[in-house]
Amino acid sequence: MAPTRTIKNKHAAPKGGAGGGKGSTKSSGSGGISKSKGKAGSKASLPATQIKGRPNLPGLDKNKKKKQRVYTEKELGIPELNMVTPVGVTKPRGKKKGKVFVDDKESMTTILALVQAEKEGQIESKMMRARQMEEIREARRVEAEKKEAERKAKLEETKEALRRKRKRTKGTSDKEEEEENIKAVAATGTKAAKPKKKRVSFAPE
Amino acid sequence: MRPLTDQEMKTVLDKLANYMSDLKSLIAPLEDGDRYVFRLNHSRVYYVKLSIANIATCVSRDALLSLGTCLGKMTKTGKFRLHITALPIIASGARHKIWVKENGAQPFLYGSNVVKAHVGRWSEDCPEHQGCVVYSMADVPLGFGVTARSTTEARRLDPTGIVCFRQADCGEYLRDEDTLFAG
Repeated sequence: MAPTRTIKNKHAAPKGGAGGGKGSTKSSGSGGISKSKGKAGSKASLPATQIKGRPNLPGLDKNKKKKQRVYTEKELGIPELNMVTPVGVTKPRGKKKGKVFVDDKESMTTILALVQAEKEGQIESKMMRARQMEEIREARRVEAEKKEAERKAKLEETKEALRRKRKRTKGTSDKEEEEENIKAVAATGTKAAKPKKKRVSFAPE
Repeated sequence: MRPLTDQEMKTVLDKLANYMSDLKSLIAPLEDGDRYVFRLNHSRVYYVKLSIANIATCVSRDALLSLGTCLGKMTKTGKFRLHITALPIIASGARHKIWVKENGAQPFLYGSNVVKAHVGRWSEDCPEHQGCVVYSMADVPLGFGVTARSTTEARRLDPTGIVCFRQADCGEYLRDEDTLFAG
């Protein structure tokens, strides 16, 4: 008895708020009636749709009597949106109304395993991608370092070459000068070096 | 109060899987034969023992303020938002962790992100944009967030660079006191 009462109260709850014991009994009665009405309405509505649907078929029958006896809706291939009753309005018979809850352990475990596997896959791919990117970055860095070192080495080489060149040119000119000096000194003495100095003089008028 | 639908359950577990490595422990049967279930009331998702959830059916939906552990809230667009109240459950099976030093605990609890200078240590091989739980150096969970950089990238980061974006912290118990459980 108790569960049925609670069900009735559930129906009565939104209608009557402050009613006492008597009120509750009344409301429960009304709830029962409303329930039966609802059922009757649903029953009535279903045939109505069928009636609405059916006249079309005999109509079609009359038109195309020679070709085919009866066309089912599927055979006709009419777009679903073009039907008398819209797609969303017709509810499948015998199926539970409303939401389907997940409360039993098996279905919960199934969903859980599904979600976990999906997540693991996502994370794994993320990690793989990150690792690959890291490898690429590392390779790029190594290459850049190599290039930098090469460039530096080249620069050093050119610097060294320039230094050597300068030394060589400097070295050869000194020897020649020394030789010349020695010859001059030997020929004219130390004073003879003076006329060799460059002098600036005004041109004669 | 009602159990979750297929889609809702998937959404909730998907969010939890960001932070937790082992989800199976969530619904594992307990020693006394009881088990934990998920319940939805006023768009909030609760993680509660089945026996308690059954007892709570005698309380009307309007009168029921809370039961078990509030995991978070289902938004009107069908997404799920984790609340700080879910921290004990997340922390028990955290996938990635970040430990903040003492000088970084207070800024985090006041709602700022975790910067590199405040990180004491972090778990290895953590990709970026992955959920992680923030702990103090004494292994006390302070909150959770999303990593801003992967571990290898974070190593090269300067000290003021953000390592983890805050999602929830324990300071919310005080800051969001009015809206955390109702409204």
